Amino acid sequence: MSTRRQWWKTALGVVLTALMLFPIYWMINVSLTPGERMRQTPPDWFPTSPTFEGYAAVLRDQLPALGTSLLVGVCTAALTVAVAAPAGFALAKLSPLGGGPLHFVLVIAQMIPGIIMAMGFYSLYLSVGGLDTWWGLVIADSTLAVPFGALVFTAFMSAVPDEIIQAARIDGAGLWRTFRSVVLPASRNAVVTVSLFAFLWAWSDFVFANTLNGSGDVRPITLGIYRYIGNNDQDWNSIMATAVVASVPAAVLLVVAQRYVAAGVTAGAVKD
Amino acid sequence: MTGARARRVLTATALVLGLAAACSGPGADGRGGERDYRFWDPYTQFGDDSEWAALVADCGRRAGVSLHRTGYDGSDLTTRAILAGQQGSSPDVLVLDNPVVTTLAEGELLLPVDELPVDLGDFEENLLESGELDGTRYGVPIGANTLALYYNADVLADAEVDPAAIHDWADLSAALTEISAKGHRGITFAAIGNEEGTYQFLPWFWGSGADLEELDSPAAVAALRLWKGWLDADLAPNSVINNNQTTSWQEFETGTYGFALNGTWQLANARASGIDFGVIPIPSRHGGPAPGAAGGEMVTVPVQEDPRRYERSRAIVECLVSDDNLLTTDTVLSYVAPVEALTARQRAEDPELSPWISAVREARGRTANDLGTRYPLISENLWTAVGNALSGAETPQDALAFAQEAVTSDFGR
Amino acid sequence: MTTAPNRSGPRRRWPSPRTTAWGFLAPLVVYLVAFYLYPLLRNLDLSLRDHTVRSFVRNDAPFVWLDNYVRVVTSAAFAPALWNTLVFTALSLVFQYGIGLALAVFFHQHFRLSVPLRALFLVPWLLPLIVSASTWSWMLNSESGVVNSVLTAFGADPVNWLTSPQYSLLAVLVANIWIGIPFNLVLLYSGLRNIPPRLHEAAALDGAGGWQRFWRITMPLLRPVSAITLLLGLVYTLKVFDIIWIMTQGGPGNSSTTLATWSYELGFGSLLPRFGPGAAVGNLLILIALFFGVIHIRVQRRQEAA
Repeated sequence: MSTRRQWWKTALGVVLTALMLFPIYWMINVSLTPGERMRQTPPDWFPTSPTFEGYAAVLRDQLPALGTSLLVGVCTAALTVAVAAPAGFALAKLSPLGGGPLHFVLVIAQMIPGIIMAMGFYSLYLSVGGLDTWWGLVIADSTLAVPFGALVFTAFMSAVPDEIIQAARIDGAGLWRTFRSVVLPASRNAVVTVSLFAFLWAWSDFVFANTLNGSGDVRPITLGIYRYIGNNDQDWNSIMATAVVASVPAAVLLVVAQRYVAAGVTAGAVKD
Repeated sequence: MTGARARRVLTATALVLGLAAACSGPGADGRGGERDYRFWDPYTQFGDDSEWAALVADCGRRAGVSLHRTGYDGSDLTTRAILAGQQGSSPDVLVLDNPVVTTLAEGELLLPVDELPVDLGDFEENLLESGELDGTRYGVPIGANTLALYYNADVLADAEVDPAAIHDWADLSAALTEISAKGHRGITFAAIGNEEGTYQFLPWFWGSGADLEELDSPAAVAALRLWKGWLDADLAPNSVINNNQTTSWQEFETGTYGFALNGTWQLANARASGIDFGVIPIPSRHGGPAPGAAGGEMVTVPVQEDPRRYERSRAIVECLVSDDNLLTTDTVLSYVAPVEALTARQRAEDPELSPWISAVREARGRTANDLGTRYPLISENLWTAVGNALSGAETPQDALAFAQEAVTSDFGR
Repeated sequence: MTTAPNRSGPRRRWPSPRTTAWGFLAPLVVYLVAFYLYPLLRNLDLSLRDHTVRSFVRNDAPFVWLDNYVRVVTSAAFAPALWNTLVFTALSLVFQYGIGLALAVFFHQHFRLSVPLRALFLVPWLLPLIVSASTWSWMLNSESGVVNSVLTAFGADPVNWLTSPQYSLLAVLVANIWIGIPFNLVLLYSGLRNIPPRLHEAAALDGAGGWQRFWRITMPLLRPVSAITLLLGLVYTLKVFDIIWIMTQGGPGNSSTTLATWSYELGFGSLLPRFGPGAAVGNLLILIALFFGVIHIRVQRRQEAA
């Protein structure tokens, strides 16, 4: 009896997933549709006469952009962990003066609209020469993840038993060593979660990239997509092909690491 | 093992911060050196390997500077230029869409052309006036374009419509009805809520005898009713409300539309599309061609802290607008040259440009007649009114009345 | 770095002087001041001055107190923008949460393929927003959109999703809900996993049906996770900008304008930037977020107390 019910559920699950992923199918479909058929009514349901021009354009033009996105993503993750992890340790274990208000500030910081941040960064970078640099984008992108990261680290590190820390202290370890060689390793899941989110947010950021790195050679892949949306010309094959390519790393990473995603978000949100 | 991982993370971070510090010296953004010049334009479609980029770089070389060209999205280039001006880091040469030149000039961000100086003697008067504020000129036209009606000859033949016989609005609407009766689509245009929407509407607005000083005149309402009537009768697709000129062009390229309202720059695409196309002027309400809006960009020189930089900026501008280079630029952009002698050469090289050259000569500057810096506000309210009327949120009469009210009360809706 | 050894018993968390903690917090605090405070103060300053292009460039715009705020709040566009923001946020939350919860319960039943299917469900979440939004505007296009093509195939009239004032908000809502479902699914699913199965077993022995068990056991025990899910969803939805801007630019008219898109439109989206009012709208949005932020903290406190 139960196997029959199982199959029914699997079938329903497949149908639901197909519905959910239909826009992604459509994205791929459009990326393969030749330009002159693109705006016709009704649209082609299947790429019957696919064109690979879009993908050729991606391979030709966008490899450096993919490299930039990778660099920016990795560095954003590193910077986020570097700033957020010690802070999480302090908030979780050292009960600093003013820790409560700081916690509140971190929650609020997540809510500031990206546009406001972007405008601020633009005028800041104009005066310090941060426009169109990869490190400028790393700093800006990290603002998406640092408050979140600090909250996640706080939650995770609160769960590290005090006994372990005290053992390290008795062995004569200083605070910094305790943090580095005891607490941080014990919170490796948090490190993975925060890095993952920082990477993915940096990878998919468009607002900062467009405002701060709209020119020059340091263009991440989201701007690569935007490049095909010119003033008098829109190359949708290339736009959608770039979109497909840009989605692959994010999707793979997410599926592979979804265990951490779930654990991380919940920990950041629900302290127990 | 995990300790090692954590250490790697920290090492990486240290590396990042160190490199960041290393990069942050002067010159990282290309404005450090005396010979480093910056050049901004709205041509994002041209990458570093384009003919346009090569031309810009070459002019920089001739002026003895290393010229860093950046293409920004047209819709936020204005804001970017203003912010840069505020921070005292304007580019040395700035190519701008013509209706915003006066706005930047009003902010004292641009150097008058006379002070460079560049000789404007040969340029067409109607193109120069877009860059004029209080009798002073701030921009050199780099090329011009305007709108006309492309038609699909096969569709028109099927509906037995003769494009040459379309002289006024009634003729055009009748033709659209014929086309629609044969199962084709009538016309597509772009009424998106930004400058493109206003730009597309102006030939009908002016062709009806309306004036930008009075958005709710009966003539203006008539023009908006014409568009609204096409949508209501399904002679134009509803998607025009969100169409920009590119999307609208893609609709035309499907081959199902009789007409498309589009610009000079689509000529190359039209040829490549395989559609048997032709071009007629936009008819005015009571007959004869309607005046379009003069489109196209201007080269400007933003104000710099160090006036010694102007000498080389002038050399760059002069190089860009020298006859041969101008012709190259306008060929690349598919624009009409802003100088009469050059249009003759263009006409000789490409007879199909002829109707466009005539249309550009008739085109009006959007900021002309002392509208100047008030134009952006008027335009914004006009495109909003067009969108509201076409989508059925308001009647054309009400929409335009609200727009006029909003213009006079300064703050948008 | 070194501190006195712990002498005050195991109940104390960490014996070091609490000020030492600030050594660890310093990077974060410097970071927050440099990269959050500066943009915020700048935005506040922008919103309190009356800018023209010229005065903006010269940095001598007159200080006008709350004039920009008054102008914004009394303008005809304010009420629709606020209303759209509230409707957009509320409906997004209700549907994201409802659908997310239904899916979480469904996937919690561990049928064949449930794990890979659930993983696939997460993909839309981390597509770059510019991609998702572009794809949705393709699908909902009046003429060449696949949604209308399906509607006509079933004999229904096509709908002008993006170009009619009645439907544009619905269109961006659908896209936003789609993007938000995975987030809700992930959180609620992990919440479900933390509910001990024996509770369900015991209730089943007592004769409670599936529906009853859901309302009597699952929902109450899921309440903390639900509260946080909704609140996080709220703060992320309030500032949604890219999706709406790419799909409708807030139009037609202002039928899909929210505070976030309006702020951008004033500052960047037209020929003549109006920095003052744009910044004022942005700050109003922050105030609203602040209000919910306080609720967030309250809820978290109460949860910790419970």
